[in-house]
Amino acid sequence: MRGSLRAFAIGFAASLLAFAAVAANAQSVPRNRTLVVAQNFDPQSLWPNGTTASTNLNPGGAIVEPLFWVNPRTSQLEPLLATAFKMDSPTAYRVELRKGVSFSNGEPMNADALVHTLKVFVDGAVTPAYALYSTPLDRFEKIDDHTVVIHTKNPYPAMALVLTQIHVIPPAYWQQVGHAKFAQQPVGTGPFKLTEWVKDDRVVMDRNPNYWGTAPKGVERVIWKPVPDDTARAVGLETGEYDIAASLAVGAAPRIQGQPNLQLVSVDSYRVFNMILSTLPKHQSPLLDKRVRYAINHAIDSDAIVKNLFFGKARVLQGQLLRKQQLGFDPDIKGYAFDPEKAKALLREAGFPNGFDIDFKIPSGRYAQDREVCEAIAGMLAKVGIRTKIVALEGGEFLRQLRVQELGPLSFVGLAPPDDPHFQLSQYRSDWRYTFIQSAELDRLIDEGVKETDVAKRGALYRQASRLLHEEAPTVPLFLGVDFYGASSRVKGLLPTGDQRIYLYGLSLE
Amino acid sequence: MLNYVIRRLLATVPVLIGISFISFALIYLSGDPTDFLLPVNTPEETRRAFRAAQGLDQPFLVQFLDFLAKAITGDFGTSLRFQQSAGSLVWERLGATGELALAAMVIALAIGIPGGTIAAYRYGSVTDRAVRAISLLGQAVPNFYLGVVAVIVCAVWLRILPSGGRGTVEQLILPAFTLGFGLVALIARVTRSCMLDALRQDYIRTARAKGLGENRVVWKHALRNAFIPVLTIIGLQFGLLLNGVVVTEIVFSWPGIGRLAIQSIYARDFPVVQTIVFLSAFTFVMLNLMVDLLYVVLDPRISYK
Repeated sequence: MRGSLRAFAIGFAASLLAFAAVAANAQSVPRNRTLVVAQNFDPQSLWPNGTTASTNLNPGGAIVEPLFWVNPRTSQLEPLLATAFKMDSPTAYRVELRKGVSFSNGEPMNADALVHTLKVFVDGAVTPAYALYSTPLDRFEKIDDHTVVIHTKNPYPAMALVLTQIHVIPPAYWQQVGHAKFAQQPVGTGPFKLTEWVKDDRVVMDRNPNYWGTAPKGVERVIWKPVPDDTARAVGLETGEYDIAASLAVGAAPRIQGQPNLQLVSVDSYRVFNMILSTLPKHQSPLLDKRVRYAINHAIDSDAIVKNLFFGKARVLQGQLLRKQQLGFDPDIKGYAFDPEKAKALLREAGFPNGFDIDFKIPSGRYAQDREVCEAIAGMLAKVGIRTKIVALEGGEFLRQLRVQELGPLSFVGLAPPDDPHFQLSQYRSDWRYTFIQSAELDRLIDEGVKETDVAKRGALYRQASRLLHEEAPTVPLFLGVDFYGASSRVKGLLPTGDQRIYLYGLSLE
Repeated sequence: MLNYVIRRLLATVPVLIGISFISFALIYLSGDPTDFLLPVNTPEETRRAFRAAQGLDQPFLVQFLDFLAKAITGDFGTSLRFQQSAGSLVWERLGATGELALAAMVIALAIGIPGGTIAAYRYGSVTDRAVRAISLLGQAVPNFYLGVVAVIVCAVWLRILPSGGRGTVEQLILPAFTLGFGLVALIARVTRSCMLDALRQDYIRTARAKGLGENRVVWKHALRNAFIPVLTIIGLQFGLLLNGVVVTEIVFSWPGIGRLAIQSIYARDFPVVQTIVFLSAFTFVMLNLMVDLLYVVLDPRISYK
């Protein structure tokens, strides 16, 4: 008995030493030329078109590159694997590919590779997560070795956004390994090549010596670590274990800001937080009366929410769902001013002098501070006489209720559709799964907008739609989310996008 | 003896099927996986096609029997979230969890048993009271809190240990201690009360009367007799460690199955959850069997026929 115990102890110690040895071996790149990024999850897939989750796209996109990207520093579409695209006709988009680029396995990146990539992209069985982008694409025509024309089923002005989502894959390797294995061992044209992926522990990638472009200066190796606990990500950043920590909790932000060797980067998220005020007859409630919806809009003080719960860092929406930078934003819409007295008057006028009781459905733990925000809202509503009963829903149940239109009449959501006004506004089309308004006029504006290739005319259509939504008030536009990133001061040029993408282009390590 | 083992092994089959059924039903009732796996604005046709491709459109019983039939051959299906074999996803992480659980148990035993023994021997003394106080604390402080405090003290203030991850011995210390601390308390308490009882027995008086040294009396005669309830606790707790492992693995970024389990439950990734539940149940049952068999080693009076 005692002998076996000793043997066990020795074996245990030996296995620990073996682990230590393996860990030491992997450290062939000096720490100061290694960029360690802590995200909250391990990737499910390193094939960028496998899912739309930023935790997958961030490491995957450093290996497999898209045609274009929107540089967050300039907000402009900038070329990567493509050098230019132009509209031949409203349903034909000509893409010019960069010459002399190869995948890291030696395959050439050319028109054949792009056509193959596009075929995979539109295959709903393999690429279901991108169905929303790929549905309008029809067929693909190789013109010459570096030119491809994408034909669409109808005019498609959001094409630029789609081109930022298409990540080009090497056809021979893809066919050899299949999509499941490609997701585990991707090959691309990017500045980094996959070295090692220990599930739920680290994704290690090393510099691609044959990279066509300018690789991030000073970065030989990137290690992506999944660190699910909010506190642990912030702590690891403070102790220098990580150089970048993504998705910091709101509470951790001020602490990071106060430290000399750290920087806090706050980014306006594309996530739009608003309240649903259903106008659908199936959600019988006082909210069917427009005056009540106005009253709720007047009762909410978004500025106070942002100031007290987000340290003033989130952006209050200006009476509409679109952001200032988006096409279709209407500067003339001012939003309903915070005015509890006016709210009370509107309620009296609508026949609710003593207010009313209503359920308020909220997600719990899905968005930063969701519970706190909703409690603040409930408090504000109570002050004008609307007594809410908060119904907190677990993430999955919340999404289900959203999808089947059960979140009415009153709820709080934060949705982040792709960054084109069409995707934002089409969520209010009469036949959309989770719309809370039926309006033939709005449908017409949405349908015309999606086909209008003249930017000025398109903007005008969307401004009209924004005004109509403001007038009908099926929502209370509250604020844009804010994402906090912490980084060591050695990291220069960190600027993630509003959809939580960390691009390594333009980043460097001192 | 062999007969007994075979009978016990056979008895695990209905247990495993029952547990699989319950967990399968619970996840099935809890929602549609496509809500998590596809973006919220995915067209309904794509959603339907995805469900059909993954067999999620089949009736509940068909899905369950299908799972069972494959599980018998060792194939637990394909993860919905990772599009990889669920079995290999769990297998890849099993070593990490095993390492952590084992290290926690070693710590718990190394502190708990001597602590409890000494407390019993010096009943009512300062040492006894200290052991009792620590035990109370260990059982009262939840894992996640202890973990965060340990990280802040050791990683942020003192900077002597890393805050998380796996690979080096330093990285194992904090999570193993966090996970083991609650166990230390339990084991120390059980050891103490069993030792108190054992030290009062006639054979201890006899041992002393025949002139044996105190060390031998306490550590050999008394402890061995007090050990059976302790062993039972260890066996049960090893299984329950999986509970604590979930929290500890998240706090310390430990790449084990506890974390995988939580993420898979949130994402309604049926095959992975099923595999983990199946495997944990199996481990639990096996540990109990092992404990029962160890009784024979400790106490020659026990035998199974």
